[in-house]
Parts: sequence; structure tokens; C-alpha cells
Amino acid sequence: MDSMNLPQYDKKGKLKFDDQTPFWTRMRYKYLSMYFLKRAALVVFRLVLLIGISYVVIFPYISKLSSSFMSREDFVDVSVKLIPKYPTLDTYKAIINDNKYIEALTNTAMISIACGFIQMMSCALVGYGFSKFNFKGKGFLFACVILTMVVPHKTLQFSMKMAFQYFDIWGIGGFLKKAFGSADGAAYIANLYDTHWPLMILSFGAVGFKNGLYIFIMRQYYKGVPDELEEAAYVDGAGTLKTFIRIILPMSVPMLVTIFLLSFSWQWTDNFYVTMFYNAKTNVFFPQIVNTIPKSLDTRYVAQAAYETAIRNTSGILVLAPLIVVFLFGQRYLIQGIERTGVTG
Amino acid sequence: MDMTKTSVNVDTKPAKTKKKKGKSLEKNKARMGWFFVLPFVLGFFFVYFPMIVQSLQFSFSDMERAAGGGGYQLTWNSFKNYNYALFEDTEYLKILISSLKQLVFDIPAIVIFSLFLAIMLNQKMRGRAVFRAIFFLPVIVSTGIIESIDLQNTLASAMGEATTTTGAGGSGASGANIIQAIDVQKFFASMKIGTQLVSYVTGLVNDVYNIINRSGVQMLVFLSGLQSISPAIYESCYMEGASAWETFWKITFPMISPMILVNAIYTIIDSFTTESNEVMKYIINFNDGRYTAGVQAAAMSWIYFVIVIVIIAAVAGVISAYVFYQRRD
Repeated sequence: MDSMNLPQYDKKGKLKFDDQTPFWTRMRYKYLSMYFLKRAALVVFRLVLLIGISYVVIFPYISKLSSSFMSREDFVDVSVKLIPKYPTLDTYKAIINDNKYIEALTNTAMISIACGFIQMMSCALVGYGFSKFNFKGKGFLFACVILTMVVPHKTLQFSMKMAFQYFDIWGIGGFLKKAFGSADGAAYIANLYDTHWPLMILSFGAVGFKNGLYIFIMRQYYKGVPDELEEAAYVDGAGTLKTFIRIILPMSVPMLVTIFLLSFSWQWTDNFYVTMFYNAKTNVFFPQIVNTIPKSLDTRYVAQAAYETAIRNTSGILVLAPLIVVFLFGQRYLIQGIERTGVTG
Repeated sequence: MDMTKTSVNVDTKPAKTKKKKGKSLEKNKARMGWFFVLPFVLGFFFVYFPMIVQSLQFSFSDMERAAGGGGYQLTWNSFKNYNYALFEDTEYLKILISSLKQLVFDIPAIVIFSLFLAIMLNQKMRGRAVFRAIFFLPVIVSTGIIESIDLQNTLASAMGEATTTTGAGGSGASGANIIQAIDVQKFFASMKIGTQLVSYVTGLVNDVYNIINRSGVQMLVFLSGLQSISPAIYESCYMEGASAWETFWKITFPMISPMILVNAIYTIIDSFTTESNEVMKYIINFNDGRYTAGVQAAAMSWIYFVIVIVIIAAVAGVISAYVFYQRRD
């Protein structure tokens, strides 16, 4: 009987298992080896680390979410940590009703979709131009792209505001206006403050928020596309533009989705351009919603700071909720797309 | 007869046109290149470039509302605004120096952390896609508005804690309060390492939420780099009996070094231009719409901007001396 439990060795000295080997022996030799223990320790270590980091990333959002359902009584109660004792939807209702949330949502959605689409197209065009064509001044132009990446728009804030409030192209428009004796005598073409023009002009010109990065990503991606593909199209009689529209664009849909999602979501959570280019009274956007405490919620009592924080976080959740839905749908494209660029030096 | 005629035609015609087309195709392609980059050329030279020039001009001028109707008037005042920013403003220089110090610590931490994460997420395991999505989430979510909410919350809690006793831990401003830096400090103190290193590490631990939030894009760039390393190299290493440690330093690290350059520069740009950067915050708050504040803010941002460019050039110069480029032919 005892010899049955011992493992059998074959001629090469290797462990031999057959149908006769008892279950526990098999298990012992499979799982009680140093090799397995080492690997198991590694896997556990990795899992603990990853879950820990994920927890750090996600916890603030969970806590925000839970505090958004709390009523004002919960904030004075010391025993309440994450699960509210008196759950309520009043905070959500107040923000949606008092703060013109729906108006801000539609405004932001419109702008974000427009910006995302236009930036996607213009950056794809420019990226393709930089990757597949040789022309004089290409190096210089690409240095300009890097420059737009390095100079943050926020440091140009003042002149950007002025540039669009007194919009003009190199002073030519104002000069012509003066020369022809225009009625208002202003030395600029038009006041674009509180219109959609500034954002659209920036997007069309591929100089909007982080567009340098998008151009760079598209350029890297198109560099990886084999030239033979286009040559085949040329031989078949297609022009450059036709090749781009019929062959290159359909092929690069994952990358285009990536660019669209990045630009869409950065425009969605943007509080710089919308506060600079729009008058808060006529065009409502998310920043105002976040910055005002709804009137119907009375916050003046003991735990005012905590309650107001929770209200702000709730408006943050209302801002993010539509974005998270978009992100969940596009997540696969997004991450694959960025990985596929293979940004090599 | 017919057959030979056509064959002759077919033979000669392409040869002729090919020679002619070779030149025109190249010219045509160059023209089309300009056509493709046209949006950027227009945007840069008609919108962006004037803005940069104007901002520079503002920083050297006094500004007031023009007498007749709209518009503004500039008068040259040489270095007055710069003088104000550097010597008269009490806060600016202090904030600038402290934020630069902070960045010296943050940038290596972010690059190393994202490399570490990328290596971990490059291994095959269950739930990899979920973890990647979670780690990339902050890139999308924690910018702009949400960042400003968090800033307001930390301000509010700093003011509120002195006067009120709050019950619920519902502030949720950051996950920083989960981690107690005191334990880490004790741990390192007992190991008898220099106090500077200890304070650096505890600083990082306290700031872990911030660092994770800022390393999403870098992680993906490293991942793409790791995936472009040919598995054959690792295989031959394994055959030669190299340990995992040696493989990392001899193979992975050199192969990934171009990405380290890219990421270091990206991190610098990113952390210099976010709203939570102290200097950016100061400049943005300083510029409250008055014309004098506007031109002074322009001067401040130009000082800042020049410093950023110098740092980027220095970092790029130092790292690119050590970068290893694989030759591909």
C-alpha cells in the first residue's frame, strides 16, 4: 500500500503519473513545489498591488457618489461613513432644477461633439501630411507643432481673450475697415466673444487644446502604414485626396475614435475655454453649475463645509456621468488606439 | 500586325510617361503635402502665432482702454512688468521656486511609477483590460472641472475643519487620507537611511493619489513601447540563462529608453501646464481682468515659459545622450 503512495519515476528520472496515482499525491506534487509557490506568491503580490492602486484611483469617486445621496442630517452624524442613514435625491434634484443643468448639458454636448469631430479631422489631415509627404519647410512646421505643445494656452490666456474679442488677421481687416471709412471706426473685424467661433476657429486650425499631441499621435500612426498601400491606389488612378478619403481614413477609424474621444472628453470637462469665450449669463456651461450652490438647499448649519463639499461633488458626478457612459463604450478603442501608435522616439 | 502594333504601344507609352510623371508626381506630392498641413499652417500663422507675439508684446507694455470706442492701447515700457514680477511681487518668485523644487521630485517619480505599472500590466493575466481602463480613467476624468472641484474642496475643508466638527467622511477630495505616512516614516527611520530620502519617500506616499492620476498617458506610452520589443530577444536571453533582473537592465531598459525620453518630456509639459500647478494657479488668479494685471500676468507667464523651455531642453539633452535606438533595416 505504501509503495502506491510514493511517486513513480520513469527511466529518465522524471516523475510519472498515471491513473493509479492517488488524488492527494498528485495534488501534493503539483502544488507543494517551490516553483509553484514562487509563482503563486508573485501573482498574489501583483494582484494586491494592482487592486490597491485601483482602490486609490476609484475610492474618491465612490466616496463622492455616496456623499451625493446623503441628506444634511448625515453630515452631523459621526457614525455615518460611506452609507447614508437618511438617503435622499434632493441634492440631485436641486442641482438639476435650480442650476440649469439640462441647458448646460446640451450646450456642452453640442460644443464637445463639434470640437471633437473638427479636431479629429484637421489633426488627421495634418498628421497625414507630416507623415507621408516631403516638402520644403516640413521640419520647421513640425517644430511649430512642438511649440504649440509646449506653450500652454493658459499662459496665453490674456492675449487669447483679446485676440478673439478684437478678432483680426494681422491687422489687415482693421486696416481695410479704416481705409474704407467704416462706420464704427473699430480697428478689428468682429467681436467674437460669446459666440462659438473662437473654439471652432481653434479646432479648424488644429491649434486647440492638446492638438499638438493629436497631430503627433496621428503622424506616428500613419508612419506605420505601409507606402505600398497608397502606391497601389495611385496605380489604380486615384489622386492623393481620393486615396486619403477612400483608403486611409476608413483604415484609421480606431485612431480617429481615439482622437475624438480624447478631444471630446477634454472639451467636456473643460473649464478654461468656456469661461473665457462665453458670457456666463447667456450661455450656461458646467463651470457655473459646479461653482454655485443651489438656492433651495439650505446649507447654513453646523456641517456647512462638508455639506457644500458634497453638493459640489454631486455636481461633479452629474458632469461626469454622461462622460463615463461614453468612456465605457469607447474604452476599448481608446486604449488599443494609443497602444497601436507605437510612439517610437 | 495588330498584335505587334498594340504591344509596341504598350511598351513605349508607359516608359515615356513614367519619366515625365516621376518629376511631376514628386512635385504634386509636395504640393499635396502643403494641402494636407494647410489647416495647421492657417491656424498657426493666422491665429496662434499672432497670439504668441501679442502676448510677448503685452508683457513689455502698459495697457489701457482706447479713447474712441472699443479696442485697447499699448505703450512700450520695456522691462517694467518683468521687474514687477521678479522683484516687486512678493509671492511670484517664492511660488515659482517651490514649484520647481516640487517638480524635480515629481517627474522621476511619475516616470518610474508609470514604467513599473506598464511592466506589470504587460504581463498576461486575468482582468488586465479592467485594470488598464481603471488606470487610464484619471486621464479622462480628473482634469478641468473635476480638478477645480477638488481644489475648492481642499480649500473648504481646510477652512471648515477649524470651526466645525463634521460627521460623514464625505469630503472625498482625495484618497490621501487612506494612507498614513507616519508608519512609513517610522519604518524608514528604523532602517537608518538619511532623513532627506525618508522625507522624499514619505512625500511621495502622501502624494500617491496625485502621482497615479498623472501617470495614465505615460503608462500607455510605455505599454506600447514594451509591446514593440521582439519576444525573440527575451527568448534568447532566457536560453542564455539570464535572470529576470539582468533581462530587465540589459534588454527592457535600453529598448524602452526612447520612451523614457518621450515620457519625461510629456510629464514636464503636462505638470507645468495643469491648473493644479502652483505657478499656473497664481498666474490665472492674478489675471482678474484688469488691464494692468493682464500685462503683468503676461510677463509672469513668459518668465515661466522660458524656464519651462530651458528645463525641457536640458532634460532632453541629458536623457538623449543615454538613449539607445535600435537600428531597423
